[in-house]
Amino acid sequence: MSAAKRVLLVEDNEMNRDMLSRRLQRRGFDVGIAVDGRAGVEMALTGGYDVVLMDMNLPEIDGWEAARQVRAGEQGRRVAIIALTAHAMQGDREKALAAGCDEYDTKPVDFERLLGKIATVLGSAP
Amino acid sequence: MSGRTSAVGELRHTFRTPVNHIVGYTEMLLEDLPPEDEGHRAPLEAILVAARDALEHISAVLVPSETPATETVRRLYAELEEPQARIIRAVTSLISAQDLGEPAAEDLRRILHAAEQLRPIGGAADAPPAAEEEPVDDRPARVLVVDDIEDNRQLLKRRLERQGHTVICAEDGKKALAMVEAEPPDLVLLDIMMPEMDGFAVLARLKGSRATRDIPVIVISALDDMASAVKCIEQGAEDFLSKPFDPVLLKARVDSSITKKRARDRERAFIEAAESVAAAAAAVEAGTYRSGSLGTVARRADAVGRLARVFDAMATNVRAREQQLHERVRTLKSDIAKAREHPAAGEKAQLATGERIGGRYEILATLGRGGMGAVFRARDSELGEEVALKTLRRESVGDEAVIERFKSEIRLARKITHRNVVRTHDLGEYEGGYFLTMELVEGITVRELIDTRGKLAIESVLAIGTQLADALAAAHAEGVIHRDVKPHNILLDADGVLKVMDFGVARLGERSSGITEVGLVVGTPAYMPPEQLLGEEVDVRADLYAVGVVLFEAATGRLPFEAQSPMLLIARLLQEEAPRASSIDPAIPEELDQLIAELLAKRPEARIQTAVQLKERLAAME
Repeated sequence: MSAAKRVLLVEDNEMNRDMLSRRLQRRGFDVGIAVDGRAGVEMALTGGYDVVLMDMNLPEIDGWEAARQVRAGEQGRRVAIIALTAHAMQGDREKALAAGCDEYDTKPVDFERLLGKIATVLGSAP
Repeated sequence: MSGRTSAVGELRHTFRTPVNHIVGYTEMLLEDLPPEDEGHRAPLEAILVAARDALEHISAVLVPSETPATETVRRLYAELEEPQARIIRAVTSLISAQDLGEPAAEDLRRILHAAEQLRPIGGAADAPPAAEEEPVDDRPARVLVVDDIEDNRQLLKRRLERQGHTVICAEDGKKALAMVEAEPPDLVLLDIMMPEMDGFAVLARLKGSRATRDIPVIVISALDDMASAVKCIEQGAEDFLSKPFDPVLLKARVDSSITKKRARDRERAFIEAAESVAAAAAAVEAGTYRSGSLGTVARRADAVGRLARVFDAMATNVRAREQQLHERVRTLKSDIAKAREHPAAGEKAQLATGERIGGRYEILATLGRGGMGAVFRARDSELGEEVALKTLRRESVGDEAVIERFKSEIRLARKITHRNVVRTHDLGEYEGGYFLTMELVEGITVRELIDTRGKLAIESVLAIGTQLADALAAAHAEGVIHRDVKPHNILLDADGVLKVMDFGVARLGERSSGITEVGLVVGTPAYMPPEQLLGEEVDVRADLYAVGVVLFEAATGRLPFEAQSPMLLIARLLQEEAPRASSIDPAIPEELDQLIAELLAKRPEARIQTAVQLKERLAAME
């Protein structure tokens, strides 16, 4: 089996962060954590991650802006980004894709569904 | 209304997030469980089942296409009560078993925390009507677009309208200000470069006025004119947009500004509501509070609303009680005034006027005499204040152990600060024995009042009872039992304010081996309950019995038990049921008669149990 896939979780809610990161680790992912958009961008650009789970409602710079900044960076073009939004709003999916995200999911996260989406973006990542 | 947050979406998220946490942590705990550990598996699975039930309720009640009514949310709260209870029960049993190890215990606490967030615990009835406030953010925002170029205005108008906002336009600064004045918008999109009055000037006017400074402004600048954008932000603009407009950015910034403004509006309303509760508190102090005057604040669904409702109920209650007491005291005052015209004859005291004791207290006059000594008016030469000084003759004082116990009792009594309790200051020793200094109260004792007036009016009896119960509740809360409540120890000042004195003093007369010898019973046994007469350890209920005797005597002018000799009196006190006060005076109201009978029960457990209960019973009487 190849080396563990590296996931960056950008999430400001402590309980969500704790739960999601631990559940992902249990599934064999190597998980990095950022608590705001600014740290998220920095880690996404330098950390060699395969996928970024980006909460869109973040302090400092929000997820939309963070996604754009990641995409604007040299390293950031290859990483897959999954946007997580709190309220299922019509148009969020389009908006996420427009901001450079590869996928979109709603919170609260259905863990199995999220795993499926991670698998999809990893499969399609170059 | 494409792309705008819906109230239902937000509610669903609010309700589902804690359930999701419950499910996530529980699943992890289950994953870690050895397959054979059935003992822990069952409660964890019960949590999962309950959480899924909760999710079903949430999905069934919060349908995306419907705007939730308050009633819907209340129903949801009610439906979530049962699954929540199951989760809390299961997780609490796992936490209290303490056998899953620390990392798991931490996760169990997180599950418990999430379960508590599911709905307010304490019943659906007092659940906040969340939906009443949620739809606020769902209102279309009113956006003012200020730009001198027609095409720009139209472009922005179309885009913003597509996002569900109401858009009004102004082609120059002056018109914009007039429109803001006529009806303040939720947001202003402001072009900088305009003829006549430019964006800077409009911004300065908006931010310079108290009425408009909280309206968010997003300035529109050319991409090559970032200096202007920076300047605007320095002048108070919330954000900027550069031309040509990026639709995603436009929406994000508009939404964010509106959300922030609404959050600020809510915050301000919250602060105003909190301020009005604070003002109401001041009004209560000033005696001008009218119940129900918190009106709109009390209807809020949040913590301030709840505070306002609780506050209003308490203030209304306090006011009603104050008025009731006021009425009762008025009668009492006239009784006191009449009694003072015929003072009871004082007895000779054993200390001479001008004598100095404890090196510090100069005797000014005799105030009265008691079983253990006398009470004097004295001057505290150190503080230059007048105090009451009570002597406790050596021959009436018990042994060393008793004195130690008494001292600790006095230390406790000094902690009681209450308008109906005489402040205890200082305990000292002089050649004749001990002395105690305390707050000087200009007044008469209930003993003197009854001796001169005979039985008192019912209102006066209730005024005494209410204040006596208040005093005892304060003392009992500090862990102090009086042990010798009797009319001699209850003072009334000219305003009808009652003050109980000598908390703990009765201890001084006890023998460390108890007071089983009849001859050694301190004070009059008439006010003592059987357990105290028998030398058993007493609790607060002994004081309540004594209150019963005081009220009986005040209402009828007689004691419940009277006898030719002390021996016979004690025998009757121990054996006979107290007569009904109404058997002496049929005019005594049934409720008061019953209350006194309950206080005079032989067995402590048959009495009214606490001074607080007594207060409530007295307050409930007409």
